[in-house]
Amino acid sequence: MKRLIAGFLSVCVAVSLLMTGCSSGGTDNTAQTDGPVTITIWHDKEDEVAQALQTELDTLAPDIVVKLEKKDGLTDSLKMVGNDPNSAPDMYFFAHDKIGVYAEMGILAPITDFVDKSTLNQYIPMTIEAATYKGEVYQLPIYFETLLYMYNRRYMSDDEVPSTTEELYKYMQENTKGGHYGFVEQHSTAYYAAGWLHAFGGYILNENGKPGLDDENTIKALEYHKKFVELMPTEGEYSTVNTLFREGKAHSTIGGPWLVPTARESGIDLGIAPMPTVDETGNKIAPYSGVQGIHVLKVAAERKHDAIAKVLQVLTNDSVGIAMAKASGCAPAKQSCYDDPVISGDDMVMAMYDTAQDAVPMPNVPEMDVMWTVTENLLVDVNMSGKDVRSSAQAAQQQAESLIKQMQ
Amino acid sequence: MSRVKHLFAVVLAALMLCLLMPVAAFAEEASDGKMIVYAKLPSDWSDPHLWAWADDGTNAFDAWPGGEMEADSNNDGWYYCWIPETTNNIIISANDAAVQTSDYKLESKNAWVTVTDAENVEISYDAQTTGDLPEYVEKFKIHAQVPDDWQDVCLWAWSAPDGKNAFEAWPGKTMSKGEDGWYTASAPVWVNSIIVNGNSGDVQTEDISIDAAEVWVTVSEDGTSDFTYNDPNAPVAEDITVHVKAPADWSEPHLWAWSAPDGTNAFSSWPGEALQEGEDGWLTLSVPGWVNSIIVNGSDGSVQTSDLSVETGKDLWIVVSDAENAEVTYEAPAETVETAEAPAAESEPTVAAEPAETKSNAMPIVIVVVVVIAVVAGGVVISKKKK
Repeated sequence: MKRLIAGFLSVCVAVSLLMTGCSSGGTDNTAQTDGPVTITIWHDKEDEVAQALQTELDTLAPDIVVKLEKKDGLTDSLKMVGNDPNSAPDMYFFAHDKIGVYAEMGILAPITDFVDKSTLNQYIPMTIEAATYKGEVYQLPIYFETLLYMYNRRYMSDDEVPSTTEELYKYMQENTKGGHYGFVEQHSTAYYAAGWLHAFGGYILNENGKPGLDDENTIKALEYHKKFVELMPTEGEYSTVNTLFREGKAHSTIGGPWLVPTARESGIDLGIAPMPTVDETGNKIAPYSGVQGIHVLKVAAERKHDAIAKVLQVLTNDSVGIAMAKASGCAPAKQSCYDDPVISGDDMVMAMYDTAQDAVPMPNVPEMDVMWTVTENLLVDVNMSGKDVRSSAQAAQQQAESLIKQMQ
Repeated sequence: MSRVKHLFAVVLAALMLCLLMPVAAFAEEASDGKMIVYAKLPSDWSDPHLWAWADDGTNAFDAWPGGEMEADSNNDGWYYCWIPETTNNIIISANDAAVQTSDYKLESKNAWVTVTDAENVEISYDAQTTGDLPEYVEKFKIHAQVPDDWQDVCLWAWSAPDGKNAFEAWPGKTMSKGEDGWYTASAPVWVNSIIVNGNSGDVQTEDISIDAAEVWVTVSEDGTSDFTYNDPNAPVAEDITVHVKAPADWSEPHLWAWSAPDGTNAFSSWPGEALQEGEDGWLTLSVPGWVNSIIVNGSDGSVQTSDLSVETGKDLWIVVSDAENAEVTYEAPAETVETAEAPAAESEPTVAAEPAETKSNAMPIVIVVVVVIAVVAGGVVISKKKK
């Protein structure tokens, strides 16, 4: 009898250990039970966004219980524990630009293992392009953001909004005086400068991981952009630019959707317009886009395949895209969400939707990690130190290539 | 029958009361957190202003005598001014503040103030004027400094290109002269063009395109003008001296200095201005007193400190040990640290923090390689300008 009790207790302890696992913060991918399946999703989003997502995913309960866990240092944590079944989450919700790093590490499962490829046709092409690395789609896009052209209607009427960069330059010449600026932007920050490079056909890094800092089109863009920089404050970093705009000292700016709430709180009658077209090329300023979406970890892909497929199925619902857009102030990735009057009536979301036609997804290849600083050093040389564009671009290109070579 | 009549009368009265209630409520309701203060003034009170403040001391206006009261063209003798409904303690003044009432606390709703003289004031919350209340229009101040021979200085203002005028007739609104010699008047925020004129319009500036923001216009003898949105009368901080000890291997140390967050730079281009040899081994440079942010850099800007936030208007002593370590004091340090034979910043890759929990199952080599390479690569290149 004692042996029977001891045996029963041992089984209980073993089952209990299996159920509990020994992870902290991650999920237990070593145990798969027949009962409710728990799916853990790491994210770095604000509470409103997470709550909206949780509400949608709670419809899967009780069969599937989705736990959203906000994770500080999400990207570093994934690098360290991404293939550890005891510690890795099942999925994570993040921007697309780290896909290449994780795909090379072999910790991601293609989304197409769970979602029919035809479903992806319902998404804005730019978002699927962003989610694709070496031919595989590793992210189910939820929403995206781009930079926007914004203006203060007190100073710039809707009729005065420049549709071309030469109109913008003329406006800047006429209105930059007395301590006010016609237009300001983070001119020497790579993320902001990229839009000008793209409009000329230049680029920071192409899809093959090749730097394009000394590309002829990049050099043309840098040279053309300089005259605009001369009519802006030399100090063009985030707080300066945003403060100038929020305090009514700048008529217009290029900024992210994150600037919109604070600008409106400052009492600015905010206008949002399409990006100006560069006269010399006929192309619009084409900023980077960041696509936020759900990724699946390989460690969970097999063991929880069906549950993950159901989670992703829910996330393809229009209601998710709409709820997330409302919570984040960003634009849904799924085309049909724009049939919703709340979405189509939101001028900021629609401006991002329009910009998405020209926007370039931030490169998702690992080499991009070294490009931000190299590019910004180039921009400082050109815009703030007045150095020769071509020789600065060539030096930056050499440095970028050298750093990438070290990575390989 | 009389009971029926009585009942009917009571019901009718109740109905009428119900109908009247929203009207009364509307009349008392402040507009979007604002209330209007009307004033009827003695005939010898001109150019009236309203000073208003909240119980907690918050003022409705930047400076005495406060907001200009506008004449209501539909109600002769009445002037008005909108104020936040929380700032309901008021004083009315006139004649360049030579006369004024005592202070009065109003209810937070539209009020009509009849001033018989400085001591006798009657306040009513029932409309004493006819017609609709004038619309609230946000205004901004225009200051002008004009040649000495300009008298009766006025402001003419309009919106271009539609040509809508802010004032009824040329030469426009009289600008009041302040103690500092500057003339001031307000205009609605839809104005984007002005002319400052004097001598009944005989002398004037050219058309001046401005933003609807407080502005200071300086008019020259020949009628040409210049303007700024920064108060030229604001106290100017005297230049300060920045003393620096930089690492020995930083060649030609420079100073980059600016005012945050408005972004006004002390120098036109990065890396700024070269520090000069001073006394006791210090490198020095004089910069404007309004500077509150500094970067010390060397070797043509390729090595630098992070942004150093400093107090304005005070001389500084900055000892830079290396790119990551700089100490700022406002008095000469008694004993300065050795300026390090610092290794170049490029050779100092930082190591990513270990995860709180290490796992026994080994990560694939590729992960370690990718992480290490990324960290090393990230450490090798440093930013030329602050992040």
